[in-house]
Amino acid sequence: MQFNDTLKPTEVALLYQSHHAWLRSWLRSRVGCSEHAADLAQDTFVRVLRARQVSPLKEPRAYLSSIARGLMIDQFRRRALERAYQESLANLPEAEVPSEEDRLVILDSLERLDRALHQLKPRVRQAFLLAQLDGLSIVQVAQRLEVSRATVERDLAKALGVCYRLRYADA
Amino acid sequence: MPDDTPAQVQVDQAIDWLVKLRFDSPSARTEQQFQQWLGSHPHNPLAWQRVSHLSDELAGLPKDLSRRTLEGSQRQRVSRRDHLKLLGLLAVGGSLGWAAREPLGLPQLLADSSTATGERRQWQSTDGSRIQLNTASAIDLHFSAQQRQLELIRGEISLDSNPNDNRPFHIDTRIGPLTTVDGQLLLRENSQGLLLSVRRGEVTLFPASASPRQVLPGETLQVGTNGSIQALALHSDPWGWTDGVLSVQQMPLAEFVSELGRYRPGLLRCAPEVAGLKVSGTYQLGDTEQILQLLSRSLPVRVDYRTRYWVSIGAA
Repeated sequence: MQFNDTLKPTEVALLYQSHHAWLRSWLRSRVGCSEHAADLAQDTFVRVLRARQVSPLKEPRAYLSSIARGLMIDQFRRRALERAYQESLANLPEAEVPSEEDRLVILDSLERLDRALHQLKPRVRQAFLLAQLDGLSIVQVAQRLEVSRATVERDLAKALGVCYRLRYADA
Repeated sequence: MPDDTPAQVQVDQAIDWLVKLRFDSPSARTEQQFQQWLGSHPHNPLAWQRVSHLSDELAGLPKDLSRRTLEGSQRQRVSRRDHLKLLGLLAVGGSLGWAAREPLGLPQLLADSSTATGERRQWQSTDGSRIQLNTASAIDLHFSAQQRQLELIRGEISLDSNPNDNRPFHIDTRIGPLTTVDGQLLLRENSQGLLLSVRRGEVTLFPASASPRQVLPGETLQVGTNGSIQALALHSDPWGWTDGVLSVQQMPLAEFVSELGRYRPGLLRCAPEVAGLKVSGTYQLGDTEQILQLLSRSLPVRVDYRTRYWVSIGAA
């Protein structure tokens, strides 16, 4: 990773001085809780420090709010996922319920998978789920979706590419 | 540090190999070619290690639980209380207490307009069109000098476009865009794609992978994600919810239950032995509990509450 394409700490400091209060109130109007808004604003600036970005920023507030939006999405998805996980457990026989330790590992993987699925077109998503979670072979997926084998191979490669980026690049 | 980051080209190749080796039954020749590829560049083994590690992680997920969790997380919606809060009805003073710690819904945060599970909303947009959102739905609206734009992000909407405004209405959906000027139409996302019903005006559909098609008043079509179009014989009136009712004719119970489930948080299940029973009638969507009670009186079924949010319907 190269460091010359992130904002300089002095630039971030300036950004913080000029826009932190605005960002907090922007967030507060959305999340309705000032503590939560303050946390998110803080996380936004942490993310700004790490983000690859050529300076100077043309529209700093648009930039900040788009990062803050991303954080809200991540938090929302994680919570939705945790609740869905809890609900799904209700349908499992006791013996199949993962341990508390496994729970976190599974949720982390599912969170990435969930984010990856959101970036895929419906057919690609379906092909990937059929192959990865339902264990169908390429031929079976192709029959099910009424597309060619080559299309399924391309779809799976595409889905795995997104998963790969989320697993290794954005870490 | 370039040494521990394989280049994109190696990653792409490794993924192609993974697809061939894991999701197919590879021939001896394919495996031999793979071994050759592995040794053909110093970065290939690293790319392969990362890609196959990723695949192992995914393969290690408990299948059934994962699928349900992923599907469930898409259905998660905000609580009613969050809604009131957003409307400013609860946000007086610092007395939010636990309500403030409840997760907010993503739709509220990001979409222009949205509804929670079980909620329906109608309003007039600034151009004078009437918009109704059904349960668990979200849209974005953008008006410019030249056009009106609506994106169906999720769920179901009815749009009664103001005919006195002659800017075209562009509507983006999962199966492709639609346009109208003076249309009254209904759009519903479903597992096969999109249901489109037109009551008035001219609507043109541009499916992602098929040629454009004019949809006429009175038509109700199912449009597949692949662009396929079918006329539908429905067991229900697709417009019923706009009047607050679920109106069905000879609808199989399983279908009725899944329809009802859209309006309730949690799980609503129908046992296979009663799935084929037929339901007819007009039910008020405002009270799904009451609908469940009515079912148990009019059909030989029993409604079991395992928890408040886990209800199953079985033989009486």
